[in-house]
Amino acid sequence: MSVHVYRKTLRDQRRAVVGWGAAVALLVLLMAALWPSVRDIFDADLLAAYPEPFQRLFDLEAMATGAGFLNAELFSIILPGMFIAYGVGRGARLIAGEEQDGVLEVVVVTPLSRTRLLLEKATGLATGIVGLDAVLLVVTVVGSIVIDMAIPIGHAAVGAVAMVLIGVQHGWLALAVGAATGRRTLAVAAASAVAVAGYALHVIGALVEAVAPWQPLSPFTQAIDAGPVSGTVPVGFAWLAITALMVVAAAIPLFTRRDLVTA
Amino acid sequence: MAAVIRTSGLTKNYGGTVGLTGLDLEVTAGTVFGCLGPNGAGKTTLLRLLVGLLHPSQGRAEVLGIDVAHDPDEVHRRVGYLPGDFRAYPDLTGEEYLRFLGDLRGGVDAATVEELAERLKLDLSRRIGALSHGNRQKVGIVQAFMHDPPVLILDEPTSGLDPLMQREFLELVRGARADDRTILLSSHILTEVEAVADVVGILRQGRMVTVDSVEDLKARALRRIDLTFGHEPPMAVLAATPGVRELRADGRRAHLVVVGSTADLVAALAPYRVEDLVSHDADLEEIFLAHYAEEG
Repeated sequence: MSVHVYRKTLRDQRRAVVGWGAAVALLVLLMAALWPSVRDIFDADLLAAYPEPFQRLFDLEAMATGAGFLNAELFSIILPGMFIAYGVGRGARLIAGEEQDGVLEVVVVTPLSRTRLLLEKATGLATGIVGLDAVLLVVTVVGSIVIDMAIPIGHAAVGAVAMVLIGVQHGWLALAVGAATGRRTLAVAAASAVAVAGYALHVIGALVEAVAPWQPLSPFTQAIDAGPVSGTVPVGFAWLAITALMVVAAAIPLFTRRDLVTA
Repeated sequence: MAAVIRTSGLTKNYGGTVGLTGLDLEVTAGTVFGCLGPNGAGKTTLLRLLVGLLHPSQGRAEVLGIDVAHDPDEVHRRVGYLPGDFRAYPDLTGEEYLRFLGDLRGGVDAATVEELAERLKLDLSRRIGALSHGNRQKVGIVQAFMHDPPVLILDEPTSGLDPLMQREFLELVRGARADDRTILLSSHILTEVEAVADVVGILRQGRMVTVDSVEDLKARALRRIDLTFGHEPPMAVLAATPGVRELRADGRRAHLVVVGSTADLVAALAPYRVEDLVSHDADLEEIFLAHYAEEG
């Protein structure tokens, strides 16, 4: 089966993956380089100075380990934020962006079905995010070895998978909203709003007991609650994958049955 | 002869405004159908409905017997389409872009692409983003023709082309007709449609107000003529000439409008000294006026 749109989607991401990959690598290496000095100052007294909910939210106790340090400093907000930003920006561009630029019109009037077009673009976006994630995994493992952070490869891989899942989920949401509406700004806005709401639920759920039962609904909680750099693969990963697939599936009938907007 | 393009009661509403109303149209095989109309008349709406980019509010459209709304991909396989505002991926070269589209069509003969590019004097090695409007339009024309589709649907195809290339394009259309392909093209320029179409349909405010052969349409067209005489204009003679309307004098000049052929007028002028004759091409609005004058 020929997958020309998938290949083009990948080709279009080459430069972006390299650029974002460099940023991710720089960030991880910078943090890893900081680790030895943090480890030396982080003792029980400093920990006790933080209120208990904050200790829980940022998993401060774990800061004494390399994995815990990276989880707190990178994997809890900065890296998920970067993967979401990458996914949403790209996802909104793939259909709604091309449609508003007027370049999609001729592509749609080929024997390739709109369903196939959407699926190939979704797969291409996910592959791009996996590529970005491969950079993250390699740098985390290399950083851990060089700085002696003692992070097992398996644990680093779980953390990396969490970033892929949260990036793909939000990226596919932006792609789906764009496919359903043809409006790029709306796609970015909707996916960003979901990201902010998800993060708020994750944070408030940790701080406010009444909200705590709802916290597992947050994609952030699903992705990072177990670490995410850790030895356990949480059930939340399955939820992230399932909701991502559902969002794309829901967009198919909306995309195939609507009018294409003109540039 | 079987209709290659057929619409029945085809209607498109955009929110509150009407794009197209109850259109019944048949275009037979091997015909060049010119769709004329001012901007906003519904030409683009009709063409986008025919290729399934829009879904009809009512009625249906068929291409080669296939219901467009029901099976758009089968229609797309058989159609070459040029949008009114053709845009292509600016980061690709013409060659890369055409190969990409060709791949989506299951492969296209490279020799055909090369031949088309050569005829249109298009450099395929340049990035599309660096091309002029006219050259980008040529890329659009090549992608519409390159898979030898039995049906071509072209929205304002000569937009941005210089006169030489316009002529080459019209040759392409004539060649396609000679191969028994069916072409529906839209334009707001009468002379362009005149030069190549067999049948012309005039759209106005979402309705097809007339469908006629080019000859009949020209016979009904209004032409504005300014005559400068070497003496007083022979107003009585001009007024008595068949087809002359709206006659008025201005010194040694006479301004008038002729309906249809100018043969009678030219014959009537033979005995007089005409120093200058300026004929203004019948524009669409004037054809509409003629059409409505007849209706009225």
